[in-house]
Order: sequence, then C-alpha cells, then structure tokens
Amino acid sequence: MSPVDTVRCWRCAYEHQVGFFCPSCHAMQLLPAQADYFSVLDIPRNPAVDEAALMQRYYELSRRLHPDLYQTGTAEEKEASLKNAALLNRAYRVLRDVVQRGQYWLELQGEQLGKENNRVPPALAALVFTVQEKLAEVREARADGKAEESKAELSEIRADLENQMKQLRTALIDNLGQWNGDGHVAELRQKLKRLLSEIAYLRTLLRDVEKESDTLWNA
Amino acid sequence: MERIVGIDLGTTNSLIAVVEQDSPRVIPDLQTGDALLPSVVAFFADGRIAVGQEAKALLAEQPLTTIQSVKRFMGLGMEHVSAEDRRRYRFADDQGIVRFALHDRQLTPPEVSALILRALRERAEAYLKEPIQKVVITVPAYFNDSQRQATKDAGRLAGLEVVRLLNEPTAASLAYGLDKKEEGLIAVYDFGGGTFDISLLRLHTGIFEVLATNGDTRLGGDDIDQRIADRFLLTGMSETLQHDPHIASRARRVAEEAKRALSSEQETRLELTLPEKDIHITRTLTRREMEEAIEDIIARTLAPCRQALKDAGLEPRDIEAVVMVGGSTRMPLVRQRVGEFFARTPLTDLNPDEVVVLGAAVQADTLSGRRKDMLLLDVVPLSLGIETMGGVMSRLLERNTTIPTSVKEMFTTAVDDQTAVDIHVLQGERELAQDCRSLARFKIPIEPLPAGVPRVEVTFMIDANGILSVTATDLRTKRERSVEVKPSYGLTDEEVERLLEESIDFAEEDVTRRLLIEARTEADTVLHATEKQLRQHAALLVEGEEARILSAVKTLQEAKSGEDYNLIRDLIDAVTDVTTPFAQRIMDTSIGEALGGKELSEI
Repeated sequence: MSPVDTVRCWRCAYEHQVGFFCPSCHAMQLLPAQADYFSVLDIPRNPAVDEAALMQRYYELSRRLHPDLYQTGTAEEKEASLKNAALLNRAYRVLRDVVQRGQYWLELQGEQLGKENNRVPPALAALVFTVQEKLAEVREARADGKAEESKAELSEIRADLENQMKQLRTALIDNLGQWNGDGHVAELRQKLKRLLSEIAYLRTLLRDVEKESDTLWNA
Repeated sequence: MERIVGIDLGTTNSLIAVVEQDSPRVIPDLQTGDALLPSVVAFFADGRIAVGQEAKALLAEQPLTTIQSVKRFMGLGMEHVSAEDRRRYRFADDQGIVRFALHDRQLTPPEVSALILRALRERAEAYLKEPIQKVVITVPAYFNDSQRQATKDAGRLAGLEVVRLLNEPTAASLAYGLDKKEEGLIAVYDFGGGTFDISLLRLHTGIFEVLATNGDTRLGGDDIDQRIADRFLLTGMSETLQHDPHIASRARRVAEEAKRALSSEQETRLELTLPEKDIHITRTLTRREMEEAIEDIIARTLAPCRQALKDAGLEPRDIEAVVMVGGSTRMPLVRQRVGEFFARTPLTDLNPDEVVVLGAAVQADTLSGRRKDMLLLDVVPLSLGIETMGGVMSRLLERNTTIPTSVKEMFTTAVDDQTAVDIHVLQGERELAQDCRSLARFKIPIEPLPAGVPRVEVTFMIDANGILSVTATDLRTKRERSVEVKPSYGLTDEEVERLLEESIDFAEEDVTRRLLIEARTEADTVLHATEKQLRQHAALLVEGEEARILSAVKTLQEAKSGEDYNLIRDLIDAVTDVTTPFAQRIMDTSIGEALGGKELSEI
C-alpha cells in the first residue's frame, strides 16, 4: 500500500496533493481507491489522532461530497460523490477507532498482521486458560439446571476482561502517541504488534463470555 | 426543481407530507381532513377496491379479503408466515412467494402496498394540484434487503419513482432536530404497529449521524392487540371459535380500542358480542391487568436498545434526549419502561404518528436540491458477507457501517481444479450461513488451479439507499461478474414489468387523472390572469367585450370542477380566444407607456 502523493485535476490539470477538491478550480476529484486514509481525511500522517478534530474534518468533508447533495447532478458527479463518500466513510471508520487505526498504521509500515493473532499471546496464556476453564464450568452448571449460581461468577469474569481491555487500549493510545519517527521505531513497532495481538485475542475471549452470558440470562 | 414528497408507509397507518415555505406539513385528505390513512385494503367480489377508512370499517365484515398490516409480509417467503397469519388470510401457495388469494385475484404484498401508495398519491395531487412522481418512502431501520426491495417495488407499481428509502427513526430524528434545534446524542425509540426500531444518533451542526441501530421487524402494537384479545376475550372459547377469522378479527378490534382507552383511563369495558355465534362477552379491563399481560412484549424492546448502545460504545446515561415515535409509545407503560432504561423522561411532545413522515418530507426536500443545510449519515442495519468453507458466514461489512460504503476482500478455493466459485451473499448476525438471510447467489468462472492458488476479489458496494451490489473478479483472468442484489422472495424485474402492464387499467386511470389535474391547474392560471387584466385594464375594454369574457370565464369555472379534462382544455382555449384582442391592447399600451419617456435612440 504505497501512498499516492500528487495527482492532476481532471478539469484544470493543476497538479496537487491527493484531496477531494482541486485547490485551484475546486472541482471534485475522484480519489484513487488506494489513497491512504490520512490523506483522505487531510490530517497529519501520524498514528496519534486528535479525535475531536478528526470528527470535525469528517463532518466538513461529508457536507461537501455526500451523494445526497448531488442527486440533481450529472452522472459523473453522482458517481464521483458515491465513490468518494464510500472511501471517506471507510477511512473515518478505521481512523476513529484506536485499535483499527493501530492495525492500519502497522500495515502502512509494511507489517503483515492477522496471521499471528491466532496464537495465544504469551502474556495472556494464563488468563485464557483460567477463563476457558471457568466457561466450561458455567456451561456444565447450566446443563445441570444450576444457571443461577453461575451468573455472579460470569459477571466477575466479564468485568475482569473488560478492565483488562481498557488497560490494553490505554497502553495502545499511549504507544501510538510516542511515534515520532526517531530511533526506537523498531522497538515501538514490536510493542504495538504485541498490544494489538493481545487486544484481538482478548476480544474473542470477551465475545465468548458475552455469548455465554446472553444464553444464561435468557435461560 | 422537481418536487419530491415524503411517505410513511406504516403498518397501521400511512401518511404523506411535503415541505412548503421551508417547513414540513402533513397533507390531509381534502374531504375528511384526516391526516392518517389506515393501511388497510379491502377487495370486493366485483373487483372494486377500497383503501383506508372505508376498508378498515370492513375488517370485521370481510376479514379474509380485507388486508391489514400488509407491511409485516413485505419481502417474506411463505415459510416466514406464522400459523396465526395463515389462519387470518387465504394464501395462493403454501411455499415460495407470498400471494394473498382475494376472490379471483392473487396479489403480492408489494401490490397491496402499491394500492395504499396510490391512495396517498391521489391525496397529495388533489392538494398540491400537480402530478407527483418522485417520493421518499420510509422503512423500519431494521428492514433487511428483501424488505427494502419489496418497498421499492411497491413504489414502482404505484407509478412512483422511489428516490430514497429512508430509515424511520432517522427520519424522526430529522423532524425532531429541526424542530428543537438541539445538538448532542439522542435515541429514537420507534415502536409502531408492527415493527420496533431503536436508533442512536449524534446531532451536530446540521449533520445527523446514525451511530447504531437495532430492532425487531416483527414486534409492534399488533402483538399487543393480539395478546389482549387472547388473554381477555378468546380465552375459554373452543379452538374452533378462537380460530374463526371473524371472531378473531372482531376480538383484535375490541382489544385495540381497549388498549387505546387505557392510555388515558385506568379501566375500560371490553365488549364482544356476536349473537350468531352465541358469543356475549362483557367485562372490565383495568390498565394494571392489561399491563401485566403485555409486560414481556414491552421488555422485548429493551434488548435491541442494549445492543445498539453497546455497538455505539455508549452507556444509557450518555444519551441526552429520547425521542418517542410510533403509536405504541402512547402507552404509559412503554413510556415508563423507556424512561427507566435511559434514566430520563422520554420526549413525547411531537406527534408520534406524524414525526416520521415530516422527517421524510425534509429529506425529500434535500434530495430535490432545495435544502442544503442538513445532511444525514445513515448506516447499514445488518452485517453483510458471503458464505465460505463449512457453511460459515464470512462478514465483509459489519452492521452500523456508515453508507455509502465499499469493501474488498480476497478469497481463494479449497479444492483443486475448481472451475467456478459460488458466491453466496448473506445478511445477518449469526455465525452460520444457514441462519443468515440469503440475498443472492451467483457463480464466477475461474481458471482451474490447485486449491488456494486462485485469487477471487469480492467487492461489496452499498449506495446511499442501502442497496447492495456485489462484484467478484478472478484476478488472474480478470473475469468479472457482478449483481445488484435482488431478494430471494422479491419480485423479479420481469414480474414487476408484467404487473405494471397488467395494471394498465390503473395506468389509464392515472393518465386521465394526471391530465385532469394539469388541465385544472392551467385553467386556474388563465382565470387568474384574466381576472387580473379585467381589474387593472378595464379602461381598455371595448363595447360588449367584458360580458363576452365574463361569460367564457363562467363556463370555464363550471367545467373546472367537473371531470372532463377535454372540455376544460376547450374552454381554456375559448377564454384565450375571447381575451386575445384585449390582451393585445394591454400589451400595446404598456409598451407605449414604457417608451413614453425615452428618446428614440435608446431602443
């Protein structure tokens, strides 16, 4: 995913940085589908994002290129606004969420994520083991008609996992904020990878617990 | 700019609204003044059809051929039709597409809905005195793709262009936001006759961003009526009597009336008398008794609320206002439970029946290009994906993704030398394909290669209507297949065409009506102009001319209230003829006046 830097305006041929509107003639440009999300939203290419400013920017751009505003336009305008708005929405969805943003950032750095997420991160091994065991107990108790007794225990597990998740996210935000391109980038990159993999795993675990809770409370 | 109107095609009632002088207003029936059109269609043996109040009055008399709550059948297959509904109506087939058997006709739910849309359109055309072509129709946010397509089909069958399907709670938020001029996080709790929706939005400087939506498309006031009927009227009767469509229909009607009464009273009388069946039930029903009987139905609305909050990453206390929409929110118990859930008093000052259609009119105004200060950012209500190895639903788009949106994902084969890949498009939240809604299925040919080698890129694109199109490309051969997803139980394009042709009688009627409206409008213009000329330029009239003009005007005025558009046209010509010399003289004089003070060289 190599970032595209400059493009020419289709109308006035002015060469400009990737952006939805030509700085010279203000015509709407069809952004290349592979444009990087930071340039789509026209914010600094840095993983520490000011979320309030990001939202403002997203709203401003939506207000200018949403297809609803081009209903009476030409077929080209409609097509461009549809594709641009789809790209803008996708970029915003990724950048506003710290976990997705972190993953995206590492991908931009050429990291391949996903594969390793299937392995249990060492730091979580003990926790995973305990939770799985407890879940098995709860399921058994439910099968024996003793659902009531498991409820408290399950709530406890859930609260514990949610708490862990919160801590991991805070650590992630913290580490993303330290990215400034200087010496310890390699080290930071490893740290981010580890955090993201732990979050991904914890999320799966939490989902299992939630599913069991739903079954239990509905029983 | 062409006018676009907003329509709320509701389970119980339907409405139509338009923006006039920058504010939305509901268009009433010109004769009765009613804003609500009951969503009921009655079919007679002689082929005649009644819609609205007249049809509603026939529910008890001819329950099998009077269709009520047709919205609950939109986009469904027969296997989704409950035993209760199977007793309530006669269907043409046991499986496949839903077709009501009505005397010698068979009609699908979109066809029945189209009759309601036609009635609304007539109402609007009579009021606006101009033909209506483009509409925004609201749908429950939690409607799936099939139900949305069915609604679009209904519009087409009514001769309307549906420029947008708008989610009902989102529409309500528009009306609310513009009325109250408030910003922040709001929840729209929309509990109607047949569907329940919850939507959470952020309102910010004219932007209405939907953060999450959830709901149940088969939960509404109808279920409450049924419960009251079962619990307090039908209980104790033999099964045969309970399942008698006449008795069941009457019981539901009585239940509905009691429910309404108990929104303001503490107790009411239930009375079901059918002497021919030897049924005489009279009893008192207290609000408390009713509430105990329906408590669980109301509780069922809270699970979607919880899920929506979770999806949006919010807590109930984050919500700054709760907007109540839909007739069922008139019930005190509903208000109480919602208030407890969000820990704040819900807003009930907007008319819950009208707020959706008013929002639809506002969005219609934006889409027509008249309004530029507000923008809706809506979401897909349900996750979308394709079936992969082992019958698993592989999600490409998560629910609550803002639309329009697109996503690409790479897939490969599991077996050596496959010559084609089956793309099965699914919608829903379950893990297994079989538990999700099947939206479409198509094959893409690929080059035979060892398993895992082919690369098939699948792209999902969702437009601003929430309608999905899917493209699959074999990256090696660049062969591409794409489909605009058509629902499994909807009408095919050919069927819609055929139905449109079949409804040619309607079409002729439509053309006649349109010509009549146009003729009347033109007559108004001519009459108005003539009257003005007579008033302003009386001095220019010649002997006997005024009498001739007034006589032509009078004849035209009389014809205008009639139905003969040809006669109106002829008489317009007659008025024009008789006024032409007079108009010529006015023109000459005004040019003379305009030139009077100028030098010749200036011309």
